[in-house]
Order: sequence, then structure tokens, then C-alpha cells
Amino acid sequence: MRVDDAFTSMAIDEALLTLNAEGKSPNTIRFWRWLPSAVSLGCFQSVEREVDLGVAKRRGVDVVRRITGGGAVFHDCGGELTYSVVCGQSDLPHDIVDSYKLICGGLVLGLERLGLHAEFKPVNDVQVNGRKISGSAQTRRWGSVLQHGTVLISPDVRLMFELLKVSPEKLSDKFISSVFERVTTVERELGQRPSFEHVRDSMKEGFEKALGIELVEEGMTDDELELAAELKPKYASNEWLRKR
Amino acid sequence: MQYAEFKAPKGVIKVELSLSGDAISKISLSGDFFMYPEEALGQLEEALSSVKVNFDSLMSAVKRFYQNTGARTPMLEPEHWVEAILKAARS
Repeated sequence: MRVDDAFTSMAIDEALLTLNAEGKSPNTIRFWRWLPSAVSLGCFQSVEREVDLGVAKRRGVDVVRRITGGGAVFHDCGGELTYSVVCGQSDLPHDIVDSYKLICGGLVLGLERLGLHAEFKPVNDVQVNGRKISGSAQTRRWGSVLQHGTVLISPDVRLMFELLKVSPEKLSDKFISSVFERVTTVERELGQRPSFEHVRDSMKEGFEKALGIELVEEGMTDDELELAAELKPKYASNEWLRKR
Repeated sequence: MQYAEFKAPKGVIKVELSLSGDAISKISLSGDFFMYPEEALGQLEEALSSVKVNFDSLMSAVKRFYQNTGARTPMLEPEHWVEAILKAARS
């Protein structure tokens, strides 16, 4: 399981997508974590409107814009497992919600292996007991698809709301309680905190079953590492961060 | 610059708007929605430039954008963009 900074991770995802589209990388599922913790921003979001950059700087949290849509997400290094799936568009349903459902089906079965009853919630969420435990985002480019997303294990929700711009009056204990009505974590649902490796292994089995595939463990190729290194400066640039 | 946020069934549309008379002179759209292909959002902003700020004119511009680009926005319909823009224009 790779542990990288936000800019490297986003560059790796784009490199895998690009090389898959060029027929140079196989369909891939990878599991990874963010170090340091980071906020990722949807590609259509305005950084100024969504993230408190002062808090991010003070708390040593990276901020990066994704190439996928959706909302701003706080990725807690100690509390989240992240996954990415890259495959050909022809390997997935044309319908966008159907394709989310197929891939998120791997997370649903993975969570079941952990002992939780999970369900897909369109467009892009997975819920346990009616509360969101995973969110995903997808892009389709050059004939291939990238979908990446989270499995919340035990994130720091208070820090999340310091980083993401929510009006100050909302940042009360009452508001944070209301978040806990809508969002949950693996630790909360299980009553204990499983290791990252255990969650990863469960998700791997879930994806194999949901997609009817057998995953073969491999490291990144030289081509993938090289292209990721080329793409990284874009993700670290102010120009990309402030695109909207 | 006028501004509004509109909560659609999936995602919040944020609109920054400048008007020249009763038409859009500048518009910037952002938010946590999904659009495929992603580049189409710039085309939607272009398609809305100089359009008069009333329901019918906006609706026909947005519908034309979808027809011309084939863009897909799960759980986001043309009327949601229109409502968001009208809300910004009223702000």
C-alpha cells in the first residue's frame, strides 16, 4: 500500500488513466493513503470558497485539486483508506450511475467482509445503517475511466470542519453531532478499529467478487512512475489549485 | 459581481455573475457536481454569455449546450442551472 503526498497521488492516478488509455497499463486497482493529510477539491470547485487555506497551512495539511468532479474531501492520514480503479470505458456500463454502482459494489462487499451491512447510494456513495461511509468520484478520458474514493475508518471530523469552509455558526457541537447522523466510520460501526491492511484485504476481496476478477499484486511500472513524476508539478502548482 | 448558491438534488451550484443590462456579461460556475466531459463546463459558461436573464432564454441556452456537447450531469437537470443563475441575478 503506497503512502504518498497529495500531489504524487493525484499524479499517479492521472498517469494510470493516461497509460491505460494508451494500452500501456493494465486495468488497475490500487489502495493507498495520504501523507501528510490533505484536502482534495473537486475539479469544478473554487478553492477560495471551499477550503480555509490558513488552517490548512497551520495544520500541515496539503490542498490539491482533483481531475474528478464532486466535493471537497478531508483525507486524514490516520483515518482513511483510499482506492483508485482504472479501466477501459468498454469494461464498464455506459450509464454513469450504473458504472459507479458496479465499482462501488466492490466496496459494499468489502465492507460486508468486515462484518458491516453496506449499500450503494446513487450517485457515488456507499452507506452503512443509512450513513455515508465512502464517497467516490469518476472521470472518463481518452477511452478509459478513473474512479477514486474513500473508505472512512476513523477520520478527525472536527479538523475536517475547520478545514472545509462551513459558516462559523454551523461549526458548533450541534452541527458536528448532525454530521455524525449522516456520516459514519468503520471504527464506529464495528466498535473497534481494524488495521489498514485488514481493510485493504477486505476491499480487495470485495472488488474481486463484485467485478468477477482475480487481482494480481504488482508494483508500478517504470512508465507509470515516470509519467507520474512528470505530472506531479501540475498538481503542486498554484495555477492548477486556483483554476476555479 | 452577483453571487448565489443553489442546492440541486446532487450537488450545490455556485454562480458568480456580472450583468450588462438584462444580459449576462460574465459568468463563473463552480460547485461539487459532476459533469462529463469535465471540459464542457467552460463551454456552458460560454454558451451563457450574452444570454438574457429570464427563464426561457436561459433554458433554451442550457438545453442547446446539452444538445451540442452531449455533456452528462448525473442528477442535474437544465432547470437547476437556470434556477441557480436566476437566484444569482436576484441577489
